[in-house]
Amino acid sequence: MAATRITISGGKRNTNWRGSLASLLALVLFLAGCGNSGSGSDAGSPAPSQPAESAAAAGNAPVPGGELTFALATSPDHLDPHRSGLAVAVRVIRTLYDNLVAQAPDGSIQPWLAKEWTVSPDGKSYTFKLREDVKFHDGTPFNAEAVKFSYDRILDPATKAANSSALIRPYESAEVVDEYTIKLNLSSPSNAFLGNLSQALVSIVSPTAARKYGDQFTKNPVGTGPFKFVKWEENAAITVERNPDYNWAPPLVENQGPAYLDRVIFKIVPEEATRIGSVQSGQILAGETVPPQNIVSLEQEGKLQIFKSNTQGLPYTLFINGKHAPWNETKARQALQAAIDVDTIVQTLYLGTYDRAWSALTPGTLGYDASLEGGIKPDLEKAKSLLDELGWVPGDDGIRVKDGQKLSLHYVDSSPNREKRNDIAVFIQQQLKAIGVAVEIEITKDVATVVFQGANYDIYGNSQVNSDPEALRAFYHSASVLPGAPQNLPGYANPELDRLLDQGLIETDPATRVDLYKQAQQIISRDAVIIPIYVFPYTVAAAKTVKNLRFDALAYPLFNDVVIQS
Amino acid sequence: MLRLAAVRLLTSLVVVFGSLVLVFVVVYLLPGDPVSAVVDVSAVSPEVLASLRAEMGVDQPFHIQFFSYVGGVVQGDFGQSLLNDEPVLPKILQHFPATLTLTLASALIAASFGIWFGVLSAIHRNGWIDIAARIIGLFGISMPTFWSGILLILIFSVSLGWFPAMGSGSLRTLVLPAFALGIVGAGFIVRLVRNSMLEVINEPFILTLRAKGISERLVMYRHALRSALIPALTMIGVLSGELMAGTVVIETVFARQGIGRVITDALMSKDLPVVQGVVFFSAVIYVLINLLVDLSYRFIDPRVRRAQ
Repeated sequence: MAATRITISGGKRNTNWRGSLASLLALVLFLAGCGNSGSGSDAGSPAPSQPAESAAAAGNAPVPGGELTFALATSPDHLDPHRSGLAVAVRVIRTLYDNLVAQAPDGSIQPWLAKEWTVSPDGKSYTFKLREDVKFHDGTPFNAEAVKFSYDRILDPATKAANSSALIRPYESAEVVDEYTIKLNLSSPSNAFLGNLSQALVSIVSPTAARKYGDQFTKNPVGTGPFKFVKWEENAAITVERNPDYNWAPPLVENQGPAYLDRVIFKIVPEEATRIGSVQSGQILAGETVPPQNIVSLEQEGKLQIFKSNTQGLPYTLFINGKHAPWNETKARQALQAAIDVDTIVQTLYLGTYDRAWSALTPGTLGYDASLEGGIKPDLEKAKSLLDELGWVPGDDGIRVKDGQKLSLHYVDSSPNREKRNDIAVFIQQQLKAIGVAVEIEITKDVATVVFQGANYDIYGNSQVNSDPEALRAFYHSASVLPGAPQNLPGYANPELDRLLDQGLIETDPATRVDLYKQAQQIISRDAVIIPIYVFPYTVAAAKTVKNLRFDALAYPLFNDVVIQS
Repeated sequence: MLRLAAVRLLTSLVVVFGSLVLVFVVVYLLPGDPVSAVVDVSAVSPEVLASLRAEMGVDQPFHIQFFSYVGGVVQGDFGQSLLNDEPVLPKILQHFPATLTLTLASALIAASFGIWFGVLSAIHRNGWIDIAARIIGLFGISMPTFWSGILLILIFSVSLGWFPAMGSGSLRTLVLPAFALGIVGAGFIVRLVRNSMLEVINEPFILTLRAKGISERLVMYRHALRSALIPALTMIGVLSGELMAGTVVIETVFARQGIGRVITDALMSKDLPVVQGVVFFSAVIYVLINLLVDLSYRFIDPRVRRAQ
């Protein structure tokens, strides 16, 4: 009934429609103008940070007080560190809990809740002397018992531990030597162990609270951190307040005492335009994960400041499936390496806000081999001749053919389009067309089945934030095959590389260890196992009144030093 | 009348059951291992995975899973969140008021602006007000809400600073999202009211009223609008679904609490019992609104009553 009524009688309809269109255009232009003024001159807006001069006063003694509103891009899954699997949760978890040790930006391990430690000659037991002046938010004293409880809790299936269960490996058991001394036993030596212990997801929880709340500890988190949990309004905000007793900050921050801020309120704002818009309008003081185009325009505008910290571990890397013909041939992979112009991709998509990656590790990760930088240059002629050598000749449509087979490449990427990764696929599709490779892109939500279980891909991209080069093992060691999966991610097995990784895990001399990982990266690059693409920077847009936001080695924000200047 | 209401109620129940089956089957067919929502599958031993599967009941055959789910739903038990073991129904009920507020506010905006502009544009046919109203109508219907929402934020929060860009709770935070969503409904209603007004204006009884010397204002607002509103009322039932679906996007754009956010988050974290629960709950609400509209229609329009 409604549908029939919509038709209008009369021959004037056509002219009306044209009139409407003209007005519509006018309106669109008007709205566009408004939009521009928003990001441009911004005359009538209540700018969040009027007195830029006050920034000059940064050298003065910090004034405690104030409330920092900080917008997160997604909702944390858990505030129980042992159960969480999301980086976004770590931003909050870092404020609530501490670890035995801390990792400095240079990769070195520093004391935190542990004052000092010794490692047994066989590398299988670590003895920590703990601080004696630490207590949890609920008053429970921090001691060896609490450390044992926390680590054993991760191993307990009833905890339903997520990422922490991989990080705690190869921890086996703990012995309480005395109240403030604990010995951790490993099933095998691991150089990555201390670095992993510095990660927020294996931080120390209050045994009293964890026992009391059980499953609901995640909603009632209690740690020893610089902030205490206040409340979690689902999908809206998480509030933490200053822990006035705090006196055991890691060496990563200047302020060793209680945080200056009264409160941090983490707002959950998934839509990036809204998140940044809220900072611009002054509704909140800071927002994380700033899209590249906003970084560029905000930096030009100069009203807000951008904090940026590159993540460590594995950069966003395209893994070429070396078990799938023809990409099992090193020359074929080298052709891809030579044909893909990574600089153009990263510059175009991220507008100079992301660094291009050169190696299997990111700069800043222990053992990073900077000599690989600038090593591989786009060279279409080289790429073409490599494919010629393998017998792939251009067909009528420009796509190469061999034995009646077309040269195709199955490029799998996941949905949603995180960090414009789907767009990288499209770029590569275009670039490889130039050397006669037909790229079929598959965007799937079910990476677990397609990639990890099915190994049904020629290229798949992934990245990992990690504190230690041992992260390479899970991707490149021939034994790193998930249960039910046929191969490791690049489908690559090289005894020489395996040996380097195995040696790197137990090598006690730091310089030798660095050298082992450099060799490993060179092999990975030489054999064209991967195409490294970019290093992901964690970014925060903040009002200029927000001072001294710092980041840990893995680019998670630390709020201990933060002050808000009025 | 009672018999009719009973029949309507019964068909509604069938629809509700159908949606329950559909929701369950679709979620069941989704690829991926439900256990991966709970633990890091690569780091846990097969025995632990098996015991988790058993605990979650996902190792059971389809029909057993289905009947135990239906059995629970009938008793008001929608299962538990995989993420934090929270019962699903209380979670939905906790977040539903925010979504309901947003839906009602946007329906109010849709109805008031839609009817107002619809009448004005019919009276001043082809005048500037008509053109403006039709542009708004076109905008409302064709603009995706995530886009108009961001546009509203840019203009009214970032540029003008009149309203907060996000959040929920206070009335001020309700304005922009309610407009972003309400403009969709307004778009439909403008068109509908305008057209039915134009039709009614040409009917003989309007001519009679005018001939009797009744003021044009009274003719339009008392007599013509009344008849023209009847189709707009039926529209509300359809629109309520449109608006409820719209809250999923709008709640995310404006970072508001509500069941739209609950389901988006649940989808992202593969929390299937929550997804199932919200979809089914929304279906029930939708059926309920349409049942009410259906029944009330008979009270409002005398012709429908007579036809029975």
